[in-house]
Amino acid sequence: MALVGSLRKELAEAVASSRVLVVGAGGIGCELLKNLVLSGFVHIDVIDLDTIDVSNLNRQFLFQKKHVGKSKAQIAKESVLKFCPKASITAYHDSIMNPDYNVEFFRNFTLVMNALDNRAARNHVNRMCLAADIPLIESGTAGYLGQVTVIKKGVTECYECQPKPTQKTFPGCTIRNTPSEPIHCIVWAKYLFNQLFGEEDADQEVSPDTADPEAAWEPEEAAARAGASNKDGDIKRVSTKDWAKSTGYDTVKLFNKLFKDDIKYLLTMDKLWRKRKAPVPLDWNEVYNIDFLNAESCDSKAEFTVVGLKDQQILDLKSCAVLFAKSVETLRARLAEKGEKAELVWDKDDPPSMDFVTAAANLRMHIFSMNMKSKFDVKSMAGNIIPAIATTNAVIAGLIVLEALKILSGTVEQCKTVFLNKQPNPRKKLLVPCALDPPNPNCYVCASRPEVTVKMNVNKVLVQTLQDKILKEKFGMVAPDVQIEDGKGTILISSEEGETEGNNRKCLVEFGIRNGSRLQSDDFLQDYTLLVNIVHCEDLEKDIEFEVVGDAPEKAPQKLTEDPEKNIANGSDDGAQPSTSKAQEQDDVLIVDSDEEPSSAVSDINMEDRTQKRKLEQEDDHIRAKRMRVEQPADQDDDIIALD
Amino acid sequence: MVEKEESVISEEEAAQYDRQIRLWGLDAQKRLRGSRVLLVGMKGLGAEVAKNLILAGVKALTMLDHEQITEEVTRSQFLIPVDSSEKNRAHASLERAQYLNPMVEVKADNENVENKSDDFFLQFDAVCLTCCSRDLMIKIDQLCHKHQIKFFAGDVFGYHGFTFADLGVEHEFVEEKPKMVKPSQEISDGPEAKKPKIDPNETMMVKKISSFCQLKDALENLLKRTPNDYFLLQVLLKFRTDKGRDPLPECFPEDSELLLQIRNDVLDSQGLSSDLLPDDFVSWCFSEMAPVCAVVGGVLGQEIVKALSQRDAPHRNFFFFDGIKGSGVVDCLGVNQ
Repeated sequence: MALVGSLRKELAEAVASSRVLVVGAGGIGCELLKNLVLSGFVHIDVIDLDTIDVSNLNRQFLFQKKHVGKSKAQIAKESVLKFCPKASITAYHDSIMNPDYNVEFFRNFTLVMNALDNRAARNHVNRMCLAADIPLIESGTAGYLGQVTVIKKGVTECYECQPKPTQKTFPGCTIRNTPSEPIHCIVWAKYLFNQLFGEEDADQEVSPDTADPEAAWEPEEAAARAGASNKDGDIKRVSTKDWAKSTGYDTVKLFNKLFKDDIKYLLTMDKLWRKRKAPVPLDWNEVYNIDFLNAESCDSKAEFTVVGLKDQQILDLKSCAVLFAKSVETLRARLAEKGEKAELVWDKDDPPSMDFVTAAANLRMHIFSMNMKSKFDVKSMAGNIIPAIATTNAVIAGLIVLEALKILSGTVEQCKTVFLNKQPNPRKKLLVPCALDPPNPNCYVCASRPEVTVKMNVNKVLVQTLQDKILKEKFGMVAPDVQIEDGKGTILISSEEGETEGNNRKCLVEFGIRNGSRLQSDDFLQDYTLLVNIVHCEDLEKDIEFEVVGDAPEKAPQKLTEDPEKNIANGSDDGAQPSTSKAQEQDDVLIVDSDEEPSSAVSDINMEDRTQKRKLEQEDDHIRAKRMRVEQPADQDDDIIALD
Repeated sequence: MVEKEESVISEEEAAQYDRQIRLWGLDAQKRLRGSRVLLVGMKGLGAEVAKNLILAGVKALTMLDHEQITEEVTRSQFLIPVDSSEKNRAHASLERAQYLNPMVEVKADNENVENKSDDFFLQFDAVCLTCCSRDLMIKIDQLCHKHQIKFFAGDVFGYHGFTFADLGVEHEFVEEKPKMVKPSQEISDGPEAKKPKIDPNETMMVKKISSFCQLKDALENLLKRTPNDYFLLQVLLKFRTDKGRDPLPECFPEDSELLLQIRNDVLDSQGLSSDLLPDDFVSWCFSEMAPVCAVVGGVLGQEIVKALSQRDAPHRNFFFFDGIKGSGVVDCLGVNQ
């Protein structure tokens, strides 16, 4: 047997002549590129839309401090060439969802390897690889946990065969009326940022929710309240931003409205507080004049710790209020500078934005008797930061190449899903290989004629909502074209800009859509057609606009256990899904319950930014333009959203 | 020993180490910052471990290797630039290793570890050996064990790899566990109000102790139920002792024959059947595979980080990786339960 290094000669030759695509040049991507060239791969394309940040440097080892701000794909290529000049690497500083990268583009490759951190891009690449019939190796890491799997059309499950847990959302009344956890306050503070300085969004209200069903003793009372407040003007009618502008963003007025008046209003909804601890309003003057030595802070951790990180200190109440005032002023000035119709975009790496959310959230936490949080912790939650280290990525990237070698050997049947645990399972396995599952015959992506049924109120749902929240967000399309199966082939949505603009604000019923209607939805780039059956429904839960039949009902957030066979967060989203397969992993039972309790080190809040409505960031000194072109920002640290 | 509580973490460090501080905490990062590590052998696995430790932010890393660069090594070693004028493996790796993290003191030493005095090792908090013979590993482990220096060993043979750890008789560490919260404060409607909730945001540190045996004992325990990988390790270590090198692809025919011979000797001497390590093992253990170095180097690197930071349960005491099956197993050998 002839060996080239560790590999048999035929395999070494297949490796050298293959052409591969690496999607992402971050934590996994850097390690993967290194492993590929050292294993003898020569023709490698790598694509990443992001630029290098200092927080990447603890693991993305192809980058140094001097590279901060530069294109990841480009610098990764340059670094690799230093120890392997014979490699032929093509780098793209671009989004993989750009229509330039069509099925023909994907067909150039022997195989594709994802090194991504968000679900939208994963869904997209999944479809492109299905369309091009190219094997795809999918992977993800979060903290100490990781996972690798192989996707081959017709042979294995595709990425979307099993429904993934949907992003965690909180009901509007929890955010606006009855927060019980710090995260509710943080989400509220981010909404507030948008209401005051950013893009106002009807789903991101911060004022008390008078229509809260929990608040009313009698149903009529709720309606009366809602009516009353509308006339009031103070609470509902005037938009928060307009109100703030009218006061010149006066800090004291703002503080008293948000943290005193609105809270007092909540207190009048007494039913809410029958079994809950009632909120305690704050008054600016009282807070500001707190004698530090006699401070009645509920927060028991008010002492400064010199040895800790500055950001890990927990502020006292007065400092919070001061921070709130300061950040409001800074942001107000920034907004004014930009002109009339300006809007700011929240960025966790922008100090005033982060200060604002920290202060506002903490003030609210105090009001609702919660222990306040340090800026460090708030940033984790608000910025949806997934902790990351080099070693996890190194292991996963190694496993990716080993799977790639099996594919190139022509032995796809030996490919596995491999899970990396933090601790060995009861069978002593730290790395757990599992057999791959066959495709789901009812998969709404890879089945031969995918079909879904969606419940909604056709009198209320807008065409825009169908496009953005259902077809794009829920079903992963990038540029949908929709035809009504009404015998006339009426075009409801066209992916061509401007063609069906006029339909957006209309309700579906206006196009004759009703119970039993069928919509043919295509994404031509993804070569994907989905038939959507409409079921008209008028009694969906509050805040729920649609429901896909067959989805598991919304339940409590999946706590991330230390058993990655159940859950893995991949970057900013909940990637892997508990395997429902009966396939046996070697001789072992597939799902083994871990002894460990849910890790608190990894946030179990993973939410995708609702990006369709988000405008592309302006070239702004304060906000680094990290992305070139974005349909859906594939940033690891996506913002939290809560859909009302 | 490890210099603890080295005052404040700088802004620069906080920014760079942010994502890992969020995982293992500030205390752990400080302990890493005060740790000095000796890494012996700068082939593929050594490069991976060096990268992982330097990125993690140890105080100092010494790369010790007396060997010259060969063509084989450049295939699986990414720290050595192709146009390097340096001939020694450690020195050739120095520049790129230092670039990984300027905040770490990275040194290269081209002496043979066999010739180092006992005192040399005492300056380190952890020692990690790769490419060393069995006897040498045992000797150095004994020294480390005696002086409470954390000892590690690891190697990669083709698709296979292993790591070993001896953290001493009483290795102390902490684990972070969620706090249970009594339901007094936030009483919401419903029966859940009565149960103590896990507050997802509050945790506590639990102290634990783990006990390790020496390498000598771990390698002298050959029982039937030990995993195949353990026998494979014994065979490869014997080959290394006998030939003074690892199996080479260009010597495939002679080396595979010798490997089979050694396999028979090792298993026969224990009265075990050679079925425990079927013949085809020779196909999979030549040279160092880059992806296997990455996997084993990742696990080994993380074990060293855990030991130095004294956070989270260490793997006790072997880790075996089989790159063909994709299985990675932690086994406890030589330790009397």
